[in-house]
Amino acid sequence: MNEQQLHAKLLASGLPGIGELDTSARDPFVRVDAGSIVAVLTFLRDDHDCRMEMLHNLTAVERPDAIELVYHVCSLARHHALTVKLSCPRPDGGNHDTWIPEVPSVAGVYSAANWHEREQWDLLGVRFAGHPDHRRILLPEEWIGHPLRKDYVYPTWHDGIPLELDAIPLYEPGGGQAAAEAAAASAAGAAGAAAKAPRKAGEPLFQPPAPLSTRPLAPGGKTTDTPASELGSH
Amino acid sequence: MEALELYAVDDRADVYTEELKLNLGPQHPSTHGVLRVELRLDGEIITAARCDIGYLHRCAEKIGENVSYLQFTPYTDRMDYLSSMNNNLAWSLTVEKLLGVEAPPRAQWLRVIMAELNRIASHLIAFGTYGIDMGAATPFFYAFRERESIMALLERPSGARMLYNYIRPGGVAHDIDERWLPDVLAFCDEFEKRWAEYNTLLTTNKIFIERTKNIGVIPRQMALDYGLTGPVLRGSGVKWDLRRDVPYLKPYDEIEFDIPVGEGTHGTLGDCWDRYWVRMLEMMESIRIIRQAAVRVPTGDFVEKAMLKMYKSPLKPAAGEAYMRCENPRGELGFYVVSAGGASPIRCRARGPSFCNLSVLDALLPGCMIADGVAIIGSLDIVLGEVDR
Repeated sequence: MNEQQLHAKLLASGLPGIGELDTSARDPFVRVDAGSIVAVLTFLRDDHDCRMEMLHNLTAVERPDAIELVYHVCSLARHHALTVKLSCPRPDGGNHDTWIPEVPSVAGVYSAANWHEREQWDLLGVRFAGHPDHRRILLPEEWIGHPLRKDYVYPTWHDGIPLELDAIPLYEPGGGQAAAEAAAASAAGAAGAAAKAPRKAGEPLFQPPAPLSTRPLAPGGKTTDTPASELGSH
Repeated sequence: MEALELYAVDDRADVYTEELKLNLGPQHPSTHGVLRVELRLDGEIITAARCDIGYLHRCAEKIGENVSYLQFTPYTDRMDYLSSMNNNLAWSLTVEKLLGVEAPPRAQWLRVIMAELNRIASHLIAFGTYGIDMGAATPFFYAFRERESIMALLERPSGARMLYNYIRPGGVAHDIDERWLPDVLAFCDEFEKRWAEYNTLLTTNKIFIERTKNIGVIPRQMALDYGLTGPVLRGSGVKWDLRRDVPYLKPYDEIEFDIPVGEGTHGTLGDCWDRYWVRMLEMMESIRIIRQAAVRVPTGDFVEKAMLKMYKSPLKPAAGEAYMRCENPRGELGFYVVSAGGASPIRCRARGPSFCNLSVLDALLPGCMIADGVAIIGSLDIVLGEVDR
């Protein structure tokens, strides 16, 4: 069956909350309400004509107005696939710190969803209600924040490890060039050989790098109309 | 009297031991990388298992959102670093799907040969390390000898031995030299003889069979439920291969090849031995594919002309999204890319086969002995670089 037939089948099932089929996309997708996602996937899995035996991929996408959950299901027996989406609209002022959307877990329908949902919780901060093992999966459990959010702030410190490269002293055998210069400078009576001003109180250890597109193309400060990120690897 | 009590046997219960918690890994030779499995043990029997992953996490998906479409290709190399060509291929096809372009025929046939050569190299590692897991160190050296030939072959067009960055959106990076295809065919002849050697070394070894048969059985329904793909799925008797079922490259449609599936040769369908044997047979199928493809590589461009222009100017696909899946040596690698019209995607999701295949481990281990757990982890053939991304 193609996506249109699958969509018609879903509509005929009488399940609530099934939206339109978007055929303009390269992979046509069906929008459903968050409340009916478990019922929809169960129907797709168990219906004789659909037989979506496998949840191939589950992911979340952050957009300006919402976080979208995307479910790719496919049938090996029937040779077809369908994309199902649900949307969690962003509340006013909802950001990384204040907004954790919650959707029902589908780990009871497909066991494959278990790890996928844990990963989406870990990296994007989407809570899955009813998940059997709702923990982080890739990052340590004590990690703060969800890195794939667009407004995620890079941490400066984790578990005793500074994440700012400049804060890590370089090893130089025999004290190195800098030490020799400092010794020479102090011998000459020059006050303070420190090349770098000490960090002021309140100043962050680490500044998150600017997006690539705003950086100059060459170190000389010469910018062009084309940001570096838009150039190919050639 | 005291002595008698010491030897008294409590016949009301079986012999039991205190529960022991054991960490397998993260630094353990049989976990194939930095994987930690928390085991609860009753004697030598595993009663519960919990995987802990993420030691190699680099957040490749975040990197993908900060670099251009072309710049991300080398990062895909580093996911499943044993099958970089296949990762490049999946990423390139995803970007091409997003842009609505297609690689020229010569590039398509070259891609098939590269992907299949890399598949053999990857299965050779699976074969060699599986021998080591089972206490047979010799097959490893044999496997690495042939893998060396493949790496030398792949180095000639790509310039790299492991992380190729060769298949790129629009085609391939460089053309092959004149002697390359004959050399590939010569390798195929050589490999056939070597493959027979592997079987005398490991496949027919009685100890190896005893260690792998009836161990770690994954029934068909369980494999589908957990989203397992690749040799792990086919080992459970499911005849499903994207190269045949959803041909993502045209040549796969025109080439004849079989899809080996597990048959429960030594006992139960879907055991460790079936998964091992599927990989062995797949190597020969890849040789079959390469032989047919090597004589049919057409002349012409190796990269799409329209794409060459895009290499020099910003590559900005129109807003939209694309999901593409490819048959990697370890299963189906899927990329889900969402573009908002900019030079970088706003979401760049990689669905790694190792990640999904590993998720079944927690359910497989309880009831096994520790040594069988090692056999099961090896038979899943995971690469932690892709599990953690």
